[in-house]
Amino acid sequence: MRAIMTIASKDFRNLLTSPMFYVISGLCSVLWTYSYLRALLLFAERSRYMQPGMEGGMNLQREVFLLHISQINLLFVFVVPALTMRLLADEKRMRTYDLLLTAPISATQIAIGKFLAGLGVVTVLTGISFLYPLITRFVAEYPMAPLLSAYAGVIMVSAAYVAVGIFASSLTESTMLAVVLGLIFNILLWFISQGAGTDNLPLVSSILEYMSLGQHFLNFIMGAVKVASVVFLASVVGFFVFLTQRVVESSRWR
Amino acid sequence: MIEVKDLSKNYGDRPAIRSLNFSVNRGEVVGFLGPNGAGKSTTMKIITGYMAPSSGEVKVAGFDVFEDPIEVKRRIGYLPETPPVYNDMYVRDYLRFVAKLKGVSKDRIESLVKSALDKTGLGDVQKRMIGNLSKGYKQRVGLAQALVSDPEVLILDEPTVGLDPKQVAEMRQLIRQLRGQHTIILSTHILPEVQASCDKVIIINAGRIVAEDSLTGLTKRMSGGGHSITLKVRRNQDEVVRSLTSIQGVVQARSSGRMIEVECDGDEATVERVASHVVGAGAGLIELQVQALALEDIFIKLTSKEMITH
Repeated sequence: MRAIMTIASKDFRNLLTSPMFYVISGLCSVLWTYSYLRALLLFAERSRYMQPGMEGGMNLQREVFLLHISQINLLFVFVVPALTMRLLADEKRMRTYDLLLTAPISATQIAIGKFLAGLGVVTVLTGISFLYPLITRFVAEYPMAPLLSAYAGVIMVSAAYVAVGIFASSLTESTMLAVVLGLIFNILLWFISQGAGTDNLPLVSSILEYMSLGQHFLNFIMGAVKVASVVFLASVVGFFVFLTQRVVESSRWR
Repeated sequence: MIEVKDLSKNYGDRPAIRSLNFSVNRGEVVGFLGPNGAGKSTTMKIITGYMAPSSGEVKVAGFDVFEDPIEVKRRIGYLPETPPVYNDMYVRDYLRFVAKLKGVSKDRIESLVKSALDKTGLGDVQKRMIGNLSKGYKQRVGLAQALVSDPEVLILDEPTVGLDPKQVAEMRQLIRQLRGQHTIILSTHILPEVQASCDKVIIINAGRIVAEDSLTGLTKRMSGGGHSITLKVRRNQDEVVRSLTSIQGVVQARSSGRMIEVECDGDEATVERVASHVVGAGAGLIELQVQALALEDIFIKLTSKEMITH
């Protein structure tokens, strides 16, 4: 446990103080500010013409937060691989991998430590995005629970992106290739459920349907924290961390 | 302390090392010598548990490297060819990180980091970013990193490569200071380094051990006990050369420029006879040097002989 935390805290600190993180979080904020304000103003404009008895038709969660959250997700598909690219690829390029592999720690500890560092940084970025709905609380009242459920979804899905990104980073020495691989894997995660709906193979179809990242994410956003969704996302994370562990372990045998 | 048995490693079809056997006792400083590509780094990487061998076994402090890699790694400090440093970390923070990674207990971290900084002379730069340090300092940070967990065994892969002559001298000095506290394996292809710091030499060529002995033993064996004496006299050089050949134990004497080179058997009495003869002849002896066969010659002899047989 101590070894995991040693790696996680060092990488978390290095990532958080890197110019990369500043650029990414800065640009994300610009984008979020622009589109969040726009959605909020539009919502305010429309609610002015609202007639009594129409309350059920409009709410902040659906009109504003949903848009915000889908935008966070869209950005994270691209941004998370860029944040995680250095975690293992750079260790190899800078030959510091030697240090990790000759230290009295296991490949599992390395993989988990790296994952936690990446997750920490992405959580900070998610925290920045959470400021927007939080500040809105000063001017409007809304129920907190669905928002929290949606943000739990954001964290779970970005944990999957982080695990994917670290796996991509473990495969190569080149950070550039790590970003591209991470991106492609992330997009694959989203598109894998496209095969559902083919009728001739009902079993495959239902499996693919279960593997739809979009559906599970939607559950969270709609305020339903389903066990199946939590289990699915946790298994995606576990699977990619496991693959990373195998790649790290295999470097001993080459 | 370290036992290597029948160790082999292939990279694909190409054998890097072929059934190596050697052992290193506690507190010894062993020089691992060989031309480029002889298999020095490969052997060291296997001992540290970084890499698995194709066959054979390695034991460090009684623990098998492949069955108890964690126990072995706890006892080893390793400086690879390229110092494994993070350019975006401060020297002191980096050493703390390595100490934690090596499983040093919390209350010992600060004192061990301090002693590693002192030993490697990094006190002045401890608050600087590693990326901004010179190559020599980075190398020292690499050494500090190997030392920081106070390991029983130190494995140093070409520790002086890329350093300037002053830094090389300092590095050797440091290695001499570490002798006795740690068991050290040191790889190099620079021979004076071995002469300066090692108790024992293992010469490896094309993946095989071609010699394993103490430095004096090796010298004696390879030279067949012979000596050569270099003399410088003030006058009558030619006459001295002619008369020297008649002395018992002298094989050959010849002039080379202002020096006289005398080949003789390894007996010290011969050296004495030569000296007293020259002094007795009144030629004005101003310099006399006895040279055993240098390590350079041994090295070339052993490694080139091996080349031919393959």
